[in-house]
Amino acid sequence: MLTVAHISKNFGTLHALKDVSFDVHDGEIMGLIGQNGAGKSTTFHSILNFLKFDGAITWNGQALTAEDYNQIGYLPEERSLMPKLTITQQIVYLARLKNQPAKVIKPKVNDWMQRFAVKGQPTDKISKLSKGNQQKVQLICTLIHDPQLIILDEPFSGLDPVNSDLLKQAILAAKKRGAAIIFSSHDMSNVEEVCDSLVMLRNGEVVLKGKINDVRNQFGRTRLFLTTDWTADQLAALPNVAAVNALGDHRYRLQLTDAEAGPAIFDAVTAGHYIQEFSQQPPTLDEIFRTEAGGLDHE
Amino acid sequence: MNKTWIVTSETYLRQTKSWSFLLLVLMPFLFIGMTFGISYVATPNKSKSDIAVVSTNSALRTSFIKQSGVATTKKYANTSAAQKATNRSDINGYIVLKATGKQVSATFNGPNEINSGDQAKIQRFLATAQTQLNVQQAKLTPTQQQALAIQPKFKQQLQKKTASDKAAKTISFYILVFFVYLILTTYSSITAQEIAAEKGTKIMEVIFSSTTPRKYFNGKVYGVLLMIVTQLLVYLLGGALVVQFAQHSRITAGLWQQYASVIGKVLHNLLSINLLFALAAVLLYTVVSAFCGALVTRVEDAGKASQPVIYLNLLTFVMAMAFQGSPSSGVVTVFSYIPFFSSYLMPLRLINGTATMTEAVISMIILLATVVGSMWYIGKIYGGLMLQTDELGFWGNLKRGLSLK
Repeated sequence: MLTVAHISKNFGTLHALKDVSFDVHDGEIMGLIGQNGAGKSTTFHSILNFLKFDGAITWNGQALTAEDYNQIGYLPEERSLMPKLTITQQIVYLARLKNQPAKVIKPKVNDWMQRFAVKGQPTDKISKLSKGNQQKVQLICTLIHDPQLIILDEPFSGLDPVNSDLLKQAILAAKKRGAAIIFSSHDMSNVEEVCDSLVMLRNGEVVLKGKINDVRNQFGRTRLFLTTDWTADQLAALPNVAAVNALGDHRYRLQLTDAEAGPAIFDAVTAGHYIQEFSQQPPTLDEIFRTEAGGLDHE
Repeated sequence: MNKTWIVTSETYLRQTKSWSFLLLVLMPFLFIGMTFGISYVATPNKSKSDIAVVSTNSALRTSFIKQSGVATTKKYANTSAAQKATNRSDINGYIVLKATGKQVSATFNGPNEINSGDQAKIQRFLATAQTQLNVQQAKLTPTQQQALAIQPKFKQQLQKKTASDKAAKTISFYILVFFVYLILTTYSSITAQEIAAEKGTKIMEVIFSSTTPRKYFNGKVYGVLLMIVTQLLVYLLGGALVVQFAQHSRITAGLWQQYASVIGKVLHNLLSINLLFALAAVLLYTVVSAFCGALVTRVEDAGKASQPVIYLNLLTFVMAMAFQGSPSSGVVTVFSYIPFFSSYLMPLRLINGTATMTEAVISMIILLATVVGSMWYIGKIYGGLMLQTDELGFWGNLKRGLSLK
């Protein structure tokens, strides 16, 4: 288990991290979300000991040692490989730095290339690969040594839906074998789909933290989706309805001021008759991100 | 496996497998080979440089061919055949040997004057033959013959500062200074560009998530050092082969014998503590070059990274050249203890005998301590420098890098 306890980091007068704390358990996937400059990469750099910081970061209750770094798989935000090496040379070199013998890693290269559908031969130079394939090779470098702690900084950035699915499968497979996984993302659908928990940072501070559903539910079930013959004006006139969005084909999304108003609205709209849809939900992560993180701004 | 060693071997293998390294190492041999090749083509072939010997006295002719030491051919035994061969330029000319009555004589016939070395050999042979003839003519007793056989003795007592000694010092100095200058410039450039390029590709975050910046930095420096050692070993091995070839090749054997003393002294000056000064200098410049490379933030600026070190090397080189004629100067004495300068100036003093071995060892200790100190300090700040990728200029990059770790 990774424990980040009360870490703070300043760059001159800039407070990059302020008293950030969270845990990531074995077999858990945690999403670290926040706007640009919120402190996500600084948090990762602190875990990896790239920076001096105040506070404590421990792995299974102990400060991280050189041996522990062999169990880490890290994918940085800016993709980078050594263009003069071949795919095999690159993967084996980085794996050897994780104390993995070349004879163990080499036979795995082909299998991993197939798993990520890398187009090319193991003997191809990195410089000859497309950007997408280079990104997949970097993911292989991150995961091939079966790390126990996986840190992925914007792993879905630049991947098409097919390759995003391949990555999700790899992440879920790592979770299944008990790895603790943290990844940052701007795409809340990926976070919602894959993560067990999340931490949201704003200006270096934790503003939200917890299991995905708990976080959503703490905002209340104030989103109501319904399909009815009523008009938007009729719906807006109902008590505790703050806003109505027409979604087309008699489908509406209502913003409630009070989640408890749901049964009364149900009674009013159905009047004892069948309606096709009545679904009261908490806000989506995307909506929470927009309100809590202060706006969506892609890096 | 030790991670420093993994980085060392990766750096070493990647660089030594490159064409640029192969060319760098093989270039001197290619030049030497080309020089020999051109000399070989330009020098007339053996039979063309030979001299035919013609004589009615077959014993005298055989004796000349065997004992004179002049390059001769037995092919043409009479004047007519020798003259025709000379006209066809098959041979350099021919000598007509005569032993008429009481005198031995030789006449050279050819288009060009015979060279001075061969003239001396012919004179020596004729003198010996004439002496033998004189002894026979004089009908001397064995005692008289023994008395006449006594030769004068000639011995050379060479002073310390002879001309050849001075030439050896000058040659040693130039070879050493140019070698050190070239090797420092080359490896400073390789190191700085390699580090800057790595920093530019941002791979460092991945690497530093696996090993410490210090181990990585040390591995890089050791890798470059291994390259230099490889280059030196190739030069030493190749040099030994060239020496063997030069000693036995007909093109160079004469020159080699003539300058054997100077060559021996030059080799002694080069293969001594001076070589250690060169190696330690390369190590120091490599460390500082890595530091300069780490301050660059873009791959495109990799070429600029090595400039400060290259200018420093140029400064020390110019200083060594300027003080070449005055190795006992106070400035040379002081700077021969200062790292960066000592690699040029202490060898200059040693070659000229103005420094003792104790002084050289002290200078070497200071140089090695600086190398170790630099490696320790730069290894400490290396991580911060390499992870600082904002474009803030030289001092800004340095300041930001220092603040990270």
